[in-house]
Amino acid sequence: MTTTACDVLIVGGGPAGLSAAARLAAAGLAVTLVDEQPELGGQYYRSPSPAVLREHGDHRPEGGRLVARVRSLGVDCRTGHLVWGVDDDGRTLLGTGPDGSPVRLRGRHVIVATGAYERTHPFPGWQLPSVTTPGFAQHLAAADGTSPGRRVLVAGSGPFLLPVACSLLAAGADVVGVAEAGHPYRPSLRAATALRHPARLRELAGYAARLARARVPLWQGRVVSRASGADRVSSATLAATADPGRPLRTVDVDALCVGYGFRPQTDLARLLGCEIRADAVTGDAEPVTDAFGRTSRPGVYVAGEAAGVGGVHRALVRGATAAAHILLREGSPAAPGPREIARLAARGRALTRFTALSDALYPSQAELRKALAATLDDDTIVCRCEAVTAAAVRSAAAERAGGDLNAAKSWSRAGMGPCQGRFCGFAVAGLVRDAAGDAADGAARCGVPVFPARQPIRPVPVETLLALGEQDGGDG
Amino acid sequence: MSALTADVVVIGAGVLGGAAAFHLARGGHRVIVLDRGAPGREGSGTTAGNLHVQAVHTRRPGQEVPLDSARFLPLQRAASDRWNSVEAELETSVELRRSGGFTIAETPEQRAELIAKHAWEDRAGIRTEVLDGDGARAALPLLGPTVTAATWCPLDGYANPLLTTPAYLAAAVRHGARLHPFCPVRAVERSGSGWRVTAGDLTVEAPHVVDVAGPWLGEIAALAGIGLRMTPVAIQMHVTVRLPETLRHLVQHIGEGLSVKQVTAGNLLIGGGWPALRLEPDGRSPVSLSSVLGNVAQAARVLPFVRDLRLLRTWAGPLAATPDEMPVIGEVPGAPGFLVAGGTYAFTFAPLWGETLRCLVEGKPTPVDIRDLGPDRLLEPAAPAAPYEEAR
Repeated sequence: MTTTACDVLIVGGGPAGLSAAARLAAAGLAVTLVDEQPELGGQYYRSPSPAVLREHGDHRPEGGRLVARVRSLGVDCRTGHLVWGVDDDGRTLLGTGPDGSPVRLRGRHVIVATGAYERTHPFPGWQLPSVTTPGFAQHLAAADGTSPGRRVLVAGSGPFLLPVACSLLAAGADVVGVAEAGHPYRPSLRAATALRHPARLRELAGYAARLARARVPLWQGRVVSRASGADRVSSATLAATADPGRPLRTVDVDALCVGYGFRPQTDLARLLGCEIRADAVTGDAEPVTDAFGRTSRPGVYVAGEAAGVGGVHRALVRGATAAAHILLREGSPAAPGPREIARLAARGRALTRFTALSDALYPSQAELRKALAATLDDDTIVCRCEAVTAAAVRSAAAERAGGDLNAAKSWSRAGMGPCQGRFCGFAVAGLVRDAAGDAADGAARCGVPVFPARQPIRPVPVETLLALGEQDGGDG
Repeated sequence: MSALTADVVVIGAGVLGGAAAFHLARGGHRVIVLDRGAPGREGSGTTAGNLHVQAVHTRRPGQEVPLDSARFLPLQRAASDRWNSVEAELETSVELRRSGGFTIAETPEQRAELIAKHAWEDRAGIRTEVLDGDGARAALPLLGPTVTAATWCPLDGYANPLLTTPAYLAAAVRHGARLHPFCPVRAVERSGSGWRVTAGDLTVEAPHVVDVAGPWLGEIAALAGIGLRMTPVAIQMHVTVRLPETLRHLVQHIGEGLSVKQVTAGNLLIGGGWPALRLEPDGRSPVSLSSVLGNVAQAARVLPFVRDLRLLRTWAGPLAATPDEMPVIGEVPGAPGFLVAGGTYAFTFAPLWGETLRCLVEGKPTPVDIRDLGPDRLLEPAAPAAPYEEAR
């Protein structure tokens, strides 16, 4: 049987995975780093295409330096590898190489650094072509220098919307406006506390100035309540966040980017059997971790955005902290002393506080969920893969599933398509919770707002499975 | 704590519980249906939904006792006929499809079994046709070169289990049955000449208890002080991404657990009773990779086009199995009014067993002879009743 064995297996080559890999490899441990993308760096340190590099340069050169360091330290970097399953009750990870060949990966320690998904909320018309997420638009703009459309509206909530709008401008798009659900960009007491973090504010102010120069309107307290169009989106309707049922303005567009920040990508952690809970603030499903990123599964750590969204600096520290703990457990001479541990912990705490402050500038997820749920009329398609409407989920939840999320999935088919509920899961959970509100303890029954993780995490070619079976059979 | 009275307490809101409740309620009985969780969530919500009409000698890989097909086939014929009126009775579609099925053989031994099976089917009034390898490939060009023989049965089919159980339960409720989901049964005791069932905040007194709790059938019986030798297992299912209509028929294997069909939504469903990693009592059993690989390899060998697909999802579901692989249905000797039903092909048999349970409650002749299918053959010496929580 062909199994890659190493001291530490890291899944995800973004900031958290890279910082952990660098620390561990520098201490002499055998590290395998697996990433789905053809290049290391993750979404944040994604390297631009050569053409974009020539024209605009690399705006995050520190990412390239970290990747180079990880490679020079002899980390076994497996790019283009998709991890889709587990075996041996979680001791072995199953993956597919770039050519579709199966791989088995095993580490004495495993760091899950799978990052985040964009936080989407369904709304009428979101299934139309050319409705995308800001992250996808950013990817197009940064990697290829193109835009999803000519006239683009950027909407949703969070600091990420501003740089995305700037990237689209740079790619030549006409950004018709930025609609932010909250009111973060005005003087207020909460904003004043963020002044203790001037670098971050300066960054945001820079983006805002760039947008102002291009005369891009910045609407606050507005959400997209509907997208319309025949074969692709042609207009977007904006409403007040406080009253999403009443349309205020319709904007002609040929692309619409809507997103409300990010949520942890927990599929692999859940498949490994790590305990999950609903985050008290965001309501997201998050793995239960301690200060070092340790989970309920011995030997399994979750680091970076997969453990809770908090930005690149927090991800870097979390990766380094998990690595430090592994070195302590290994009794490595390079293990950190008490002072370094204390310094890492303090840095982690400070960044967590900053995340909380920064989050406080924007509307809470509970607020947003409530506002956006009000736009979900019965005909709105919630699960795009299976074309399941809000009405179907509501009736399944109320009549048959009694508030049980998994049963609501069975009865409605929501979450059964190729994305396995990555885009609709949280919205379905919200609908189930609301529909079961009257039933006794219905809300409690819904539990963690996420469908159970099932393998394969992503659809896997039957050919890959056949090759894996032949390997197994060949070696008994 | 509220005390209720009923004529029948049905324990388990799966497809058997739904069918029993429907037939009983329609017959004028006051029925209460209890479930520990969401209705139809476990075995009935995870089954492949095959309507087995022709015989399948072996069902699950590693199954030690083969099904007694010769005895079973007349029952299967009756169960098949009973499905004909289900959609009319329930006044809704359950995606019932009689698109026929092939059972294939690859080795000379399997081919011999196929011919023997054909003779039993003939005797039971089930029309099947034996084809040689080339004949089978002419009839179904998707079949691969290893197929040496097949039987074709036009009655084989499929119904969507995710529609069938809710449809039965809804029809039962329309006829006055009361459904209590998320209401785990904690005690089952004799009370006068009947039974007292304690579940959640409810206490129900009724002359009849119908234990159709699927994988928990034995545990519920144990609450009533009845020891039944059940052997519940978890098996798994595999589904590919959607594809255009390609495979119109059910394809099964005579010698190895394999069933393949394309469901209405377009996904290909691959099953055959391969075991999950283990049976978890909470119902969320983990899948076994070797079962995934084994089952998918069989499917790709028998139906080579499977090789070009992508596997979307796998899941495991519990199954109420008996040590002799035959169904169990009837009244427990020494426990008047306590009826059980479950075991082999519960989904195919649900309409027939639902009606049979009504006949048993009413003391009327049953539609098929079930005297040798009773729970007496599974009785253990009196076992001490275990509290429900401990039994879990």
